[in-house]
Amino acid sequence: MDTFLQQLANGLTIGSMFALVALGYTMVYGVMRLINFAHGDMVAASAFVGLTIYTQVLGQAVSLGAVLTIFLLSALVMAGVGVVLERLAYRPLREAPRLSAVVSALGASLVIQNGIMLIWGPRMRIFPELVPQVYWDFGGVVISLIQVIILALSLVLMVALYLFVEKTRIGAAIRASYIDQDAARLMGINVNSIIALIFIIGSSLGAVGGLFIGLYYRGITFNMGWQYGLYAFIAAILGGIGNIPGAMLGGMLLGLFKAFIEGYVSSTWADAFTFILLILILIVRPTGILGERVAEKV
Amino acid sequence: MNRCIRTILVATSVALLAVPAFAADTLKVGVQAPITGSYANEGQGIENGVRLLAEQINAKGGVMGKQIEVVVCDDQGTAMAAAICAKDLVNKGVSMVIGSYTSTCAQAAQKTYFKAGVLQTSDGTADSLTEKGYWTFLRNSFPNSAEAKFVANYLVNIKKYQRIVVISDFSTYADGLANAAEAAIEKLGGKVISRDKIKADSQNFTPVLTNIKSKKPDAIFFAGYYSDGGLLRAQQIALGIKADFYGGDANDNPDFAKLAGSAAQGAFIVNVPSPDVLPYEIAKSFIADYQKKYGEMPPSIWGLMNIDGMRAIIHGMEQTKSFDAKKVVDYLHNMSTPLEGITGQIAFAKDGNRKGGAYVVKKIQADGTYANEYVQ
Repeated sequence: MDTFLQQLANGLTIGSMFALVALGYTMVYGVMRLINFAHGDMVAASAFVGLTIYTQVLGQAVSLGAVLTIFLLSALVMAGVGVVLERLAYRPLREAPRLSAVVSALGASLVIQNGIMLIWGPRMRIFPELVPQVYWDFGGVVISLIQVIILALSLVLMVALYLFVEKTRIGAAIRASYIDQDAARLMGINVNSIIALIFIIGSSLGAVGGLFIGLYYRGITFNMGWQYGLYAFIAAILGGIGNIPGAMLGGMLLGLFKAFIEGYVSSTWADAFTFILLILILIVRPTGILGERVAEKV
Repeated sequence: MNRCIRTILVATSVALLAVPAFAADTLKVGVQAPITGSYANEGQGIENGVRLLAEQINAKGGVMGKQIEVVVCDDQGTAMAAAICAKDLVNKGVSMVIGSYTSTCAQAAQKTYFKAGVLQTSDGTADSLTEKGYWTFLRNSFPNSAEAKFVANYLVNIKKYQRIVVISDFSTYADGLANAAEAAIEKLGGKVISRDKIKADSQNFTPVLTNIKSKKPDAIFFAGYYSDGGLLRAQQIALGIKADFYGGDANDNPDFAKLAGSAAQGAFIVNVPSPDVLPYEIAKSFIADYQKKYGEMPPSIWGLMNIDGMRAIIHGMEQTKSFDAKKVVDYLHNMSTPLEGITGQIAFAKDGNRKGGAYVVKKIQADGTYANEYVQ
């Protein structure tokens, strides 16, 4: 039983990272019908930005304030990068065929990945131990402080995002743009601003995810974004791409699924099972678990 | 006067013509190493070492009058890029190749060098590297089977562990070492309670470790690379698994302790002696030169092993007074007196394996440095 609970804790930790990153995919897809393949690399970039802020700006001080500063500044920087990315790579192709935008996204992914390599080098960089190694043992199930932080902060961010989208006027504008961009424009919504906002939110959430990766795993490489991007992408599809609660649910489920497959079946086959799950979902329920709210589209 | 100018012109043009002729008559040394990717640290160490040695040899007049030209190809630590590198280096006309760091990459490139008759020396420790009968391959490290025997003896006979777990990734080297260690442990009457595999670079090893925890091991032997080993150790401690951690030779890299952070303390690393404790004069001077040129220690023993491989081949060329690969290899396989190397004496068996090999167990201290725990 304690093995099961431990796997549950493992799965939820990695799942909340997937969920944060998946939100970036799903929000962009919701408005633009575009898979932003560069998102995974933005996540990787944020870990490096965070590391640089720590070493250059904060002078390697370890305190709660330092951690908060790293999170805020990195999210700010990545939000800026997200807006620039949208301006340069996606806005000129807004009216172009969908495929052109996808190719542009793949290109942007390569540019960012190689950009990280040129700026920070090809070597693995080591993230500082910013969160003290504190563990609690609940009858064989060990939970660490960093796991609690990751889980709690992710949940807070996700609930905040959900409330923002569902309860505020700007949130209503985002939902309107999801349904029909042209109609939204006729209703006086500035769709360009909404898209910029989507990139700001998605990139900052991705930045938090990237910093979690750095804080939790400590080793960061320029090409790690691909891996996390892929899993988050699967999580977004699992939950229903374009659907915000779906991305959260998909991320958590994928994290748990991976943990249990690796724990109980075989780590050799974990990826294979993950992709089989993806294929099954696409066959049985192409819109994902929560699905796009198709009815609203009419 | 006119005549004088003409002489100068002729002399200049001769000199100009001589430059390309001279350039064509260099000894091309290929470096196939992971310059980027997860093992970039090691790959760059190999490249730096080769460039330094080439510089030193060139300053002394080169190899039998030929200056060394270093040609580098980045195999990124992947078999696919390694195969491309092999073709590329052969096409560029290298007469020997140093590398690669990983057995997987050395293996993927082996056949191409064999077919082209280009000598290759690698620190790859997978036994399979010398089992194909490629005469062009010279291993400058010691095979997994030697390390496996040492580890098994240490864990079973000296430390008397009862419940040992063996973990590897899926690479040629790690899987080979883990299988060899498992077999050797069982041969000595030890008990391997679990043989697990992780996916390199996947970072999250807690599911596998959680399973291991439920089996209550007293020792974990990890046969993979430092980039995973450091994380594995950190996650082992985070999950409260009390077992002693032993990392195989590829964990011997400063990044291991950095990745593991405060969890590094108390972990053990099994390897041949590390660069800073090499007792040989030639090692001390080479490492001093290396530090002077690059401002850091070589990342690990592996770069130096490769340098020794390169030195052995050049030694063979000079002794046989020939650049003929076959002749050089025949000489190296049958050397009566071993060459004094940076990493100890170098001599090769007929199958291309390096002879000898002694291992140490090192314990990581609170400040991240190593202390010898057991010396063979």
